[in-house]
Amino acid sequence: MGGALLYYEWHSRFNRVRARLQRLRQPKYLFGAIVGGLYFYWYVFGGLARQRYAGRTPAPLSPDSWELVESLAALAFLVVILLMWIIPHQRAALAFSEAEVAFLFPAPIGRRTLIHFKLLKSQTAILFSALFMTLIGRWGGGHFLFRAVAWWAVLSVVNLQMLGSSFARTMLLDRGISNRRRRLLFLGAVGVVVAGVILWARQSLPPPPVVSNPRDLSALADYARQILESGPVPWLLAPFRWVVAPMFASGAKQFCLALCPALAVIALHYVWVIRSNVAFEEASVELSRKFAERIAAARSGNWQAMSKPRKGKRPPFELRPEGWPAMAIYWKNLIGVRHFLGGRAWIWLVWIFIVAGSAMQHGMGRSGAGVMIAAAALMLIFMSLVSGPQMLRQDFRQDLRVADVLKMYPMAAWQVVLGEILAPASLLIRLQWLLLLLAVVFFTSTPNHLAVPISWRISFGVAAALVLPFVDFIALLLPNAVALMFPAWVQLGRNSPRGFETMGQQIILMFGQMLVLALALLPAGLAFATVYFICSYLFGMLPAVVLAALAAAILLATEAAIGVRLLGKAFERFDWSEGVGE
Amino acid sequence: MRLEIPPPMPPQSAPSGLIEVAGLTKLYGEFPAVTDLSFAVRAGEVIGLVGPNGAGKTTTLRCLSGIIPPTRGSVRICGCDMGRDPIEAKRRLAFFADEPRLFEYLTVAQHLTFTARIYNVANYQAAARDLLEELEIAGKADTLPGELSRGMKQKLAIACGFLHSPQVIFFDEPLTGLDPLGIRRMKDSILKRAAAGAAILISSHLLHLLEEICSHVLILKDGKKIIDGTMDEVRRKFSEAADGANLEEAFFRATGESKGP
Repeated sequence: MGGALLYYEWHSRFNRVRARLQRLRQPKYLFGAIVGGLYFYWYVFGGLARQRYAGRTPAPLSPDSWELVESLAALAFLVVILLMWIIPHQRAALAFSEAEVAFLFPAPIGRRTLIHFKLLKSQTAILFSALFMTLIGRWGGGHFLFRAVAWWAVLSVVNLQMLGSSFARTMLLDRGISNRRRRLLFLGAVGVVVAGVILWARQSLPPPPVVSNPRDLSALADYARQILESGPVPWLLAPFRWVVAPMFASGAKQFCLALCPALAVIALHYVWVIRSNVAFEEASVELSRKFAERIAAARSGNWQAMSKPRKGKRPPFELRPEGWPAMAIYWKNLIGVRHFLGGRAWIWLVWIFIVAGSAMQHGMGRSGAGVMIAAAALMLIFMSLVSGPQMLRQDFRQDLRVADVLKMYPMAAWQVVLGEILAPASLLIRLQWLLLLLAVVFFTSTPNHLAVPISWRISFGVAAALVLPFVDFIALLLPNAVALMFPAWVQLGRNSPRGFETMGQQIILMFGQMLVLALALLPAGLAFATVYFICSYLFGMLPAVVLAALAAAILLATEAAIGVRLLGKAFERFDWSEGVGE
Repeated sequence: MRLEIPPPMPPQSAPSGLIEVAGLTKLYGEFPAVTDLSFAVRAGEVIGLVGPNGAGKTTTLRCLSGIIPPTRGSVRICGCDMGRDPIEAKRRLAFFADEPRLFEYLTVAQHLTFTARIYNVANYQAAARDLLEELEIAGKADTLPGELSRGMKQKLAIACGFLHSPQVIFFDEPLTGLDPLGIRRMKDSILKRAAAGAAILISSHLLHLLEEICSHVLILKDGKKIIDGTMDEVRRKFSEAADGANLEEAFFRATGESKGP
């Protein structure tokens, strides 16, 4: 039976790699792979080269410091393992795909074989992750291969612990020990150990040093070293130190010596997991179903849908049965938005501003705090312009999977486009106007304490309020245009590709959208400059700013209207069955 | 409680058929999915669209309902040309895909409110209530689709489709996912709507179902029409060699498919 599972795993991987290589014959994947590869190379190796060129290679640590770092790593590892025992609440569930569940669960395969299969499968991910962490984790010494093996050991223990602790959790639940009781027991035990360590430290060590200069932490490091490397703590940390020790080995001999205890820990974990006889099948079936739904949602570009809505939301307004049909799509998408950005999100935003404002006022005085709030508001407006259209996806990126339904509606295609884009646009605009109001109210002086007159603030505020909605609308049209015109380039279909190629495609699309947005804003910028130049002579600066913004807004509105019409044509031509997720 | 079917929307002109298809051709690149298909369905007729997998049934339905434009040919729904006046044509039809496509954030009741606005159905509340009761999902008005079974999702899609009293109805495998009672109700509902004057086209592989409820049948193979006519005409045409051939027999003879061992 193991042979069949090995056959399946090997051929699945092989076919996946072969399919990926074969699709490189298509230019869209080839370009994507080139750009993705270059980006990865630049990120990993370029970063190293830049560090060397700039002479910023970190100075080697002293042996004492290495020992402290190793102890801290062991402590961090201990915390991770403890959290695995405390936080999760589900029964043991091995993650299988829906196809694996359908084929393997009814097959005459023992539970132990399934666990072996799962462990084997997880090794692929562990090896890849170890390689990735080795490449991006440039800290530490040692040979590349040693670091890779050390990461593999750490990740393998984490994987086995996760599995073993889930089995143990299920066994406890089966014996009537609830999650709450288990957590109390663990937290109690942790509390006792921590209290013991504190008691020992107070009796055996001098009091902790007071840090007067934040740049000099050597006294604090010495104190930490005393706690971690004397008394009971080294004994507590020993098994965790064995696992992380290969990462800190400086030579081949030290590495081999450090690796042996780590391998022993892995072997013990393996025996523990394999000998656990826990029923995981039922929970695994449910997990695989949920996993498949999440994957489908994520690949359809609907990242928010990865967390399924649990209950219906109240509609934002009453939708009457008669009237402009595009309003129905706007209404529908607003309900979708409210599942993620409901009233609670707005309350949080206001609360953050109040808390941050009062904290800043306390530290910087009234005018300083005002400038900071205004600056933060302006920065958030800029950030919402850049990332808002990518984050708010309650438009075609959410609805293309039901494009057939939308196309059946008795309404013009451009109305569908408008209805789709209105919801994220209105949300962005509301947010930006709120932030703009904050900026106008609080921007009473410059950082150099020069007063900013109210007339200036109102003029510039009105000008920005006029222009922003249309910039948002155009910025939202672009990703929707990509989704409609190049559906195979974006992650929409269930079989959307992954890998370097997709990463490269995303980079190309991102730059393409930024370029098109810049080109779309150019005429409006020119119009603004021209009208401002003329009107400032005639009416003065402040009216000129508003009039110039009005001219720019009219031009942007015209562009947006043309964009909606063009996108409507694209929607008419769009066919989900063609070219999506190839 | 049984639904009182409202009178269907009047056709724009007085066509010979509520569905008129002439020379419909759909190419995907060079590949002809449907070639030169012509037929008509009059008020009160139920036509079964059958053919082997890949015959072009779904493509035909998608062209007829205005989801994809045909490469050549014309489609008229109640006298409205789908190419020239798609909005008026779509206002008069409903298409039920094999897989119910719903909006995951709208509750059952919100789906109906949304559909009412899209089709401008004034005073829809009473009709919506009756539909929900007829389809036995009245108790699920505030439920999201994610919490509904597949059969219930299909019932919700049907409720949305019937809300505007379409005069032309397309079904793609309408019985998938329904329980025996649901199947019985669906058959009754189809026949009742046909009796009220709707033209109905059903694509299905369930030949015995089509035999029960269809007055006409159209057999497609490789995107081309093999035959269309009344059920009796089709059966008669293919029963010359063997007496008393049923639709299944006729289908195998018409498409040249082997019935198997």
